[in-house]
Amino acid sequence: MEARQTLINESAMGRNRAIRQAGRMGLWLNPVFAYFFLWAPILILVLFSFNDSKSVASFTGFTLKWYSNILNNVMGAERAFSTEIMLNAFRNSLFVGAVATAIATALGTLIALAMARGRFPGKGLLDGLLFLPVVIPEITQAISLAIFFKVVFDWFDLISGQRIFPGFHTIIMAHVTFNISYVAIVVRARLADMDPQLEEAANDLGANPWQTFWRVTFPLILPGVIAGALLAFTLSLDDFVITFFTSGVGTSTLPVFVYGLLKLTVTPEVNAISTIMMLLSTLLIGISLAMQGRAASRA
Amino acid sequence: MPMSSYDVELIDIVKDFDSGGGPVRAVDHVSVEIEDGEFFALLGPSGCGKTTTLRLIAGFEQPSAGRILIRGLAMEGIPAYHRPVNTVFQDYALFPHLTVEQNIMFGLQMEGVDKKAARKRAEESLELVRLPGVGARKPHQLSGGQQQRVALARALVKQPAVLLLDEPLGALDLKLRKNMQYELKALQRDVGITFIYVTHDQEEAITMADRIAVMNEGVMLQVGSPREIYEHPESHFVADFIGETNFIPGRMLERYPGGYGKVKLANGSIIRAQLSEAFSRADGPVTVAIRPERIGIAALDDRASEEDGEVTALDAVLAERQYIGTDTRYTLRLQAGIELVARLQNINEADSHEFSIGQPLKIRWRQSSTTVLDR
Repeated sequence: MEARQTLINESAMGRNRAIRQAGRMGLWLNPVFAYFFLWAPILILVLFSFNDSKSVASFTGFTLKWYSNILNNVMGAERAFSTEIMLNAFRNSLFVGAVATAIATALGTLIALAMARGRFPGKGLLDGLLFLPVVIPEITQAISLAIFFKVVFDWFDLISGQRIFPGFHTIIMAHVTFNISYVAIVVRARLADMDPQLEEAANDLGANPWQTFWRVTFPLILPGVIAGALLAFTLSLDDFVITFFTSGVGTSTLPVFVYGLLKLTVTPEVNAISTIMMLLSTLLIGISLAMQGRAASRA
Repeated sequence: MPMSSYDVELIDIVKDFDSGGGPVRAVDHVSVEIEDGEFFALLGPSGCGKTTTLRLIAGFEQPSAGRILIRGLAMEGIPAYHRPVNTVFQDYALFPHLTVEQNIMFGLQMEGVDKKAARKRAEESLELVRLPGVGARKPHQLSGGQQQRVALARALVKQPAVLLLDEPLGALDLKLRKNMQYELKALQRDVGITFIYVTHDQEEAITMADRIAVMNEGVMLQVGSPREIYEHPESHFVADFIGETNFIPGRMLERYPGGYGKVKLANGSIIRAQLSEAFSRADGPVTVAIRPERIGIAALDDRASEEDGEVTALDAVLAERQYIGTDTRYTLRLQAGIELVARLQNINEADSHEFSIGQPLKIRWRQSSTTVLDR
């Protein structure tokens, strides 16, 4: 009786082991597939930016000529390509990014402080609204901004007779609107980690609110502010949809310029430009994350 | 020209907090005067309003009603950064981005003390708390006990009129806490600054404080020296919160002159017991409180257990016996289900097993050891 019991248990155990092993296998495969989907397109892009053949059908050999092409006014077969226009678009990107980041970082940090420290009616609602630009579709925001600028400029035209045309100012304002949210979220996370007693301690030791902010609060949230700024700058550099809808003549940023190239044909040079953009963004986000991580470990 | 001889005066302080479901009263009509150079403990369970009271004095909160005077000056409208008080926070609240020296110099620089003088005073302050030579380190490089000392040095370097301490030893382990209790008390005696010390640890309050205020539910129940608080509690709560106490339900029969009363206990015994100072009634239900170490135990045939004019003696049965090293703890059962705990010191090894469980005994106490309280 006892022996039979053992036998049954053993076969049941064997079955369980098989199920467990299958489960483990499945669990192991899951991230493999997930990462494949995530990275395969990007890897292909990077790979073909070094492909000697113009066709994406096969990889025939390693080359850097597409990278040198984009610096030497050559593009595709027999078509002239203006490196100068590309560099100009890149300068535009940096300019828009820098200005939008500066404004968004200042405003986003102030909002984060108000949300973390302030007590005022409607705070919960405002807090929720702050996340809205992060979750609403980019195209919705782009169109709404385009319409908003048009309406405002029409009114201004009606009142003053002066016509304002979209340009850097509209792109920058648009970038500020979505970047504020990201900065505020990052800075707020930093503030949430900060012991509010530190500000009381400063107060207690004779520091007025202004001194308390600059000597205690700001140095402690600075890593968060820098991380938020880097994130904002990256988002600004990468943005296409909103920029496309709010830019004017001669203010194309790099992503808009690349889109312009794509309208004609996909060439290996586009792969090369995209690879460079991706590396730049990854670097900036990496620094941003490192700043946030360092801040968290120090708190 | 001090307007009063008190360092801190709280006059009918009320503090209400707004919580979702209406205002919550954290401090309820508290009035107390704290003398210059006094070590004053605010003692009570968590949520009793002791920390709020401290924060009101520090200026982190504003009272809903009442006045706070520090050295005779009304503190109304004076922000925390202009008050002559400094705080040692529970979790130290050292600035993590500054070195120990910069932390201590912070308060001096806010006063406009020049850097050189501030540095010198910071070093002296570190010596005062017996932690010299750590000025260049960051707070996170120090142990909890060392951080505690830095927090103390940072507050003391400002030479405040009053030092506020919010459970400063709460985060330390037991042994370190005992050492720090001793050191803090010695330090306070040396510097002569008034200490207001918030704690939930009654033992800490008793060992360190000149006077203790026991708080519960926002009310300051009793203020007095540790001895007064321990020996003459004026309420059930205070008697229960400070040390261990037996409570015997009874009924007041008659009030004697000289602060004594005739009480009929629940088991039927009629005893003479000392009334608490706050006790004003002449009859009705009461509670008789007696400390475990004030109860004596004797075998039935023990001659010395005879009742005399000042001693109450009752019959009991030993229900349980617990050996706890220095003492033996006896649980004694009286009639009507009354259980009392007695603690006897183990002067000889044999003391701990002198009486056996189930043995009928005589218990006795001095009438002056009892306190009659409102139920």
